[in-house]
Amino acid sequence: MTEQQKEAKPKKRMTATRAAASIGPMVKSFITETLQARAEGKQKLAYTFIVCHHEEILRAMDVIPIWTENFAGVCGAKRDAERFLQRAESLGLSRSLCTYALCGIGFDQWREELGEMPPDSPWGGMARPDFMISSGQILCDPRSKWYQASQQFMPDVPIYNIDLPYPLFQRDQDHREVWGYYHKYIVKQLRGLVAFVEEQTKKKMDYDRLRELVDLSDRTWNLIDETYRLRKAVPCPMGTGDAMNTMVPICFMMATQKAYDFFVELKKELEEKIAKGEGEVENEKYRLMWGGGLPAWYALNDFNYFNSKGASFPVETTYRMVLPLYEMDIPETKDPIEHLAWRWLGYWTFWYDKARKRPDSEPDVERLINWIEEYKIDGIVMHEAFSCRTWHVGLIWQLHQLGKIYKPIPLYVIGKDGKREIVMKELPSLILESDIIDITSYSEVDTRNKIDAFIETLESYRVNRAY
Amino acid sequence: MRPDEVFFKIEKQFKDYGSRARQLHKEGRKIIGYVCSFVPLEMIAASGAIPFRVRGSIQEPITLGDTLLETIVCPYYRSCFDLSIKGRYEFLSGLVIPHACDSMVRSYSVWSYSLPYSYFHFVNVPTVCEESSFEFFEEELKNFKKSLERFTGKSIQDEDLSKAIQLYNKNRDKIRALYELRKNDPPLISGTELTMALTAGSGLPIDESNEWFDQVIAAVKGRGGSPLSKGPRILIDGACIDHIELVKLVEELGGNVVADTICNGARDSFPKTEESKDPIQALSRRYLDKLNCPKTYRANKAGTFEGDIANRFGDIGTYAREFRVEGAILYVYKYCDPFGFEVPARKAYYQSIQVPMLHLEDTYSAGNLGQLRTRIQAFLEMISR
Repeated sequence: MTEQQKEAKPKKRMTATRAAASIGPMVKSFITETLQARAEGKQKLAYTFIVCHHEEILRAMDVIPIWTENFAGVCGAKRDAERFLQRAESLGLSRSLCTYALCGIGFDQWREELGEMPPDSPWGGMARPDFMISSGQILCDPRSKWYQASQQFMPDVPIYNIDLPYPLFQRDQDHREVWGYYHKYIVKQLRGLVAFVEEQTKKKMDYDRLRELVDLSDRTWNLIDETYRLRKAVPCPMGTGDAMNTMVPICFMMATQKAYDFFVELKKELEEKIAKGEGEVENEKYRLMWGGGLPAWYALNDFNYFNSKGASFPVETTYRMVLPLYEMDIPETKDPIEHLAWRWLGYWTFWYDKARKRPDSEPDVERLINWIEEYKIDGIVMHEAFSCRTWHVGLIWQLHQLGKIYKPIPLYVIGKDGKREIVMKELPSLILESDIIDITSYSEVDTRNKIDAFIETLESYRVNRAY
Repeated sequence: MRPDEVFFKIEKQFKDYGSRARQLHKEGRKIIGYVCSFVPLEMIAASGAIPFRVRGSIQEPITLGDTLLETIVCPYYRSCFDLSIKGRYEFLSGLVIPHACDSMVRSYSVWSYSLPYSYFHFVNVPTVCEESSFEFFEEELKNFKKSLERFTGKSIQDEDLSKAIQLYNKNRDKIRALYELRKNDPPLISGTELTMALTAGSGLPIDESNEWFDQVIAAVKGRGGSPLSKGPRILIDGACIDHIELVKLVEELGGNVVADTICNGARDSFPKTEESKDPIQALSRRYLDKLNCPKTYRANKAGTFEGDIANRFGDIGTYAREFRVEGAILYVYKYCDPFGFEVPARKAYYQSIQVPMLHLEDTYSAGNLGQLRTRIQAFLEMISR
């Protein structure tokens, strides 16, 4: 098998906040902890996915999660995913499939073949799990297929596949008409997970501890929301580039005091910056929203490139995996499992009521509209990663629908008779194309040319805005 | 009708797909489009509307569709969207999309906001197959029922559903009878004819579809021979293949397509709904448990890889024995995560049952047929030795 040489190490991305700068060592340390735990054999390790609202259950039972998407992202960020992707391809898996999964399966197959970590594995490699918790959601097919494919190479490792649906937005139906049976089902699925983990760990769930962890997560959710709302300040104290770091405690460390403390510190730091009038960019000219798509992990420097043109990103839809709980319709319950199920439904249906009120709106479009206004956005940037349908299908249409229903921007232009006239234009947008970790799909030159052209458009809007 | 007239009609109905639905629409009937095998057609039929399977076209370049839907979507599904947005299915009153794959789920808004139909519904099919998911799915089916009742203005009674279940079961029996005709060597009906006949049937109201298959069965039996010469007996494994080009290629190159697992073939047509059960419960079992689609996660109960693939892909082995299959073509669309991730396991399964297999990844475009021809030719030569 051809094993490509590693790509040149990327230049370190500059962060605006101390908190974001502290993330790299944090990730390294939790990957190292999983390797130590594997060696000691005292705690059970589970492969699993982010955004399943099940961290509390795992942590209450002292199970250490191995976030397989995170490891693939690390391989991507270190520009060392290609050899694992090629290995997956050699098994018959198409490069058009989720490259996180391909990277993980390629890695698993190699580790199992060798009986040890593949040579020079990023940050020591991904530990062999005791069990795997996959997830069939209305969200992502690879989540229920990835571990099933990996199990071919480690058939002794059992899988629990948790089904977590939510009602899709339908214009003619209030989601509350159906969410009773959704809730009942999700509760059963989560209880099934508890039973599975109990069987694997030979321990009983401590429900008091679970309740405490759920409460900790809830407090962290609201704290994150408050912290991120500070980014509405002009100039914006922290951008999406940093948020691609601070997603780590949101996605991989929920239900830990460390995650809560992290956001206490970040909030303090942002408040200080706002008080001093310090922005992510020294001379903020354009405020952009990262309106969809996972980032190209090997090219996070592109955020610095935007910054160098005076563009800041006060908000992003990606990895904003929390929303204010107090604004959700969550019924009171003392049962932490029931609460987790309501929180799940509350999160996914958060924008439904608002979307229903605005003619021709839709939850994803509604979120764009709300944040354009709240964060004073001048333009939208999206990234289309070719290998992921989960987060990257519907983006073009969202922009199309936004243009159709959202108020246009009045611009002065020189008309045919040479006189200045006003034309109405849509909010400028840019869709970048590459992948999450497959660097072969990325061209820095093309990407930056597109960014340059987009910045010119933004500048033209800025200069010619009529009112 | 004489056999030659029926075979002429098969081709005509295939080419003029939708003509009958268009006519019924003009007569005031509600035609409800659907994509994928997970949509419970019995429910639509019980509401008085006519289900109509939306097709793509590998000959038609995707143009308008690409202005609204990303090119990383399953190419078959993109083509269905492209034709729909171009007005090919203007006679539809509504459309039902199930939770089958990300391409369908994530583009639901794109379809439902871009097409001019007055009815849209999403059926949320669970991903796992266990007691709690059957219970959930029953509730989801009841919600689908309510939604159809609102749209059609007709209350759906249990008797209506039972009657529709019976009609669809009859339809599946007839399709099974057509498949039986493939057991001859060479088969009495070619794969190309069968695909065209099934496709034509999926565009008709269920009672007409039943009559249609009676005519086709009679015509095939009355023809008194096979349209093919003996050749390697091939099984086509994959998702929805609603065009005839792949099957035609195999048959032009000397193979006999005798079996399949595809959505508009055995996957959809072989499993029947239990008639003695409560209709909603019976539909929940059929659509969730009996449809063997990679989208549904089935737990590894065997505890071994070999046992797991035998459980997951056992239908392939059954068909291979039943139809005396000598080779298989696993035809997977690019960007199809549910099937794509199963390729290594399916390869292993084919090895375990000692059926040679050719894996093709395709982009649902007539432009690729040349490449497919070369690969299929080499495969047929290899297994003919």
